[in-house]
Amino acid sequence: MKILLIEDEEALRDGIITYFTEEGNICETVGDYASALTKINIYSYDCIVLDLTLPDGDGMEILRNLKKLHKNDGVLIISARHSLDDKLSGLNLGADDYLVKPFHLSELKARVSAIVRRKSFDGNNLITFNEINIDTLAMKTTVGQNAISLTKKEYDLLVYFIANQSKVITKSALAEHLWGDEIDLSDHFDFIYTHIKNLRKKLVEVGCNDYIKSMYGVGYKFSS
Amino acid sequence: MKLAQKYNRVNLYTSLIILVLSGAIYYFAIHYILTNKLDNDLKIEEEEILASVHKYHKLPLPSDFKDQKVTYQELKKGESVERNFNNTSYYNSDEKEQEPGRSLVTNIKGGEQDYIVTITKSSLEAEDLIRLIFLITLGVIVLLLISLTVVNRVILSSLWRPFYEMLKQLKAFNLADKDEFSVQHTQIDEFQELNQSVISMSTRVRRDYKELKSFTDNASHEMMTPLAVINSKLDTLIQTEALSDQQGELIEDVYLAVNKLSRLNQSLLLLAKIENNLIKDEEDITFDILVGQKLRQFNELFIANEIEVEKQLETQRLYMSKYLADIMLNNLINNAIRHNLQGGKIKVNLLGGTLSISNTGSAKPLDSHRAFERFYKDSSSEGTGLGLAITSQICNLYNYKLSYSYEAERHMFSIKF
Repeated sequence: MKILLIEDEEALRDGIITYFTEEGNICETVGDYASALTKINIYSYDCIVLDLTLPDGDGMEILRNLKKLHKNDGVLIISARHSLDDKLSGLNLGADDYLVKPFHLSELKARVSAIVRRKSFDGNNLITFNEINIDTLAMKTTVGQNAISLTKKEYDLLVYFIANQSKVITKSALAEHLWGDEIDLSDHFDFIYTHIKNLRKKLVEVGCNDYIKSMYGVGYKFSS
Repeated sequence: MKLAQKYNRVNLYTSLIILVLSGAIYYFAIHYILTNKLDNDLKIEEEEILASVHKYHKLPLPSDFKDQKVTYQELKKGESVERNFNNTSYYNSDEKEQEPGRSLVTNIKGGEQDYIVTITKSSLEAEDLIRLIFLITLGVIVLLLISLTVVNRVILSSLWRPFYEMLKQLKAFNLADKDEFSVQHTQIDEFQELNQSVISMSTRVRRDYKELKSFTDNASHEMMTPLAVINSKLDTLIQTEALSDQQGELIEDVYLAVNKLSRLNQSLLLLAKIENNLIKDEEDITFDILVGQKLRQFNELFIANEIEVEKQLETQRLYMSKYLADIMLNNLINNAIRHNLQGGKIKVNLLGGTLSISNTGSAKPLDSHRAFERFYKDSSSEGTGLGLAITSQICNLYNYKLSYSYEAERHMFSIKF
């Protein structure tokens, strides 16, 4: 997929690019408002990751411009502002999602993937990873020919893992993804283990390879 | 006491004292002048008698005519009387009544014989005059006082109108509102100055307030961005191959610390927002349904900690921000889980307009005065120490009563709506 990252903080930009480009995605970056405008005028992207606070302009203006240009690019806002107003006006202006800083790169990746999936009009609601197929519209999972029934949490977990395949995902990122940041899980990370154990069991039972690897102390990795 | 009243009172007392004092001085001065004039008349009469004695070598006849009486009295040899003026009474034979008088007693030698001569004049006219003057003065005093009071009252109240106008607007002043002060035109310099100062003050305050708000925003941005950088670098770091178990554990600790720091920052910003009353998305909430949802949301945590939950919910409607209601419940339930025992109990009651959440836990009750202070927490607690402070601020905002008690080995937090 083709992604444009509009973010003025260089260190953060580097982290995101490294995380995204590894598996053959095209990831372009700009650090200011003016060059962002130029880019969106010329090219189209599957997803634009937009920081609202830029040194020379307001990120909201970029949203307005996209709307004016009748572009259909997906937009994910990343902002340090945890304000309901910003969130609502961003979504009203056509953004697809809103992620508050600081975030886990795995969460960003999962959200971008979801946006790209939703934005593709060619019926691309299928996620495939080797023998695993997920129909995101019907929320159905099959391994080879066998349908398996997953709970909501297990399903979310699997989608998240596949979006971040071959990456190490931390327990706190998983916990935040599954339960939101309302519940302070800092004491209880380990009980996501139950969900992972169940998911692994259900997959292996229908003859799926065990792709989930536990990385001691850090988290989990989903890879073939 | 109102300024006008105070001013009137002082004004009245001073004018009264000055007028009474000046009246008295006036009285004595006129009295002195008139007595002096009478004495002069008496001296002229004396001179006339002396002149007559000098010319005829005998006293003129005693006389008694119009307001003046002259009497003689022989003086024995060797006796003498001092010449003096004194106040006496004068018998008016026409009117047949005693009148106040002034007399001059003196020695005059008429031939060989010494006489005491008493010249008496009625001072009734003078007394009348003084009385008249006194009455006029009194009238003037009364008139002056009345007009002073009335004029002061009328003029002061109209003069002070711009002030009260401004005061009314100041009382209704709300930082979050956008209306400017509407100023009544006034020709009084002081009030013009007051109006200008109030307007410039409000502009300044609004500007500072705006700056503060944007400062809050900027602070959030400035702190969140480095945190986001740390997080993303850590996420990148763990992708590198061959992390040892020990390194993995160290990184996990860093993750936890970063997570806690960003929570702390969010909480502080939230507190500032609530205090500044910046969250204004109130709506009708069916609170019992919300509590039920929350309990379901936390269900896994309850199970993981083997906590038994007991609930009793009555219908309760509230008009508040859904966002803040969420935060309030999250904080209370999180606390009830965090400070609970393994296999403990939580009881959630929403009855008679009061929400109470009680949990088993350590046998030591909290300090109920300090429990809602910022950063008050148990040394073993993993929380930010801001949860209860935020809950208490939210309750303050909507005038709910939040209280803590420790009964029957349960810690209980109640909110009375």
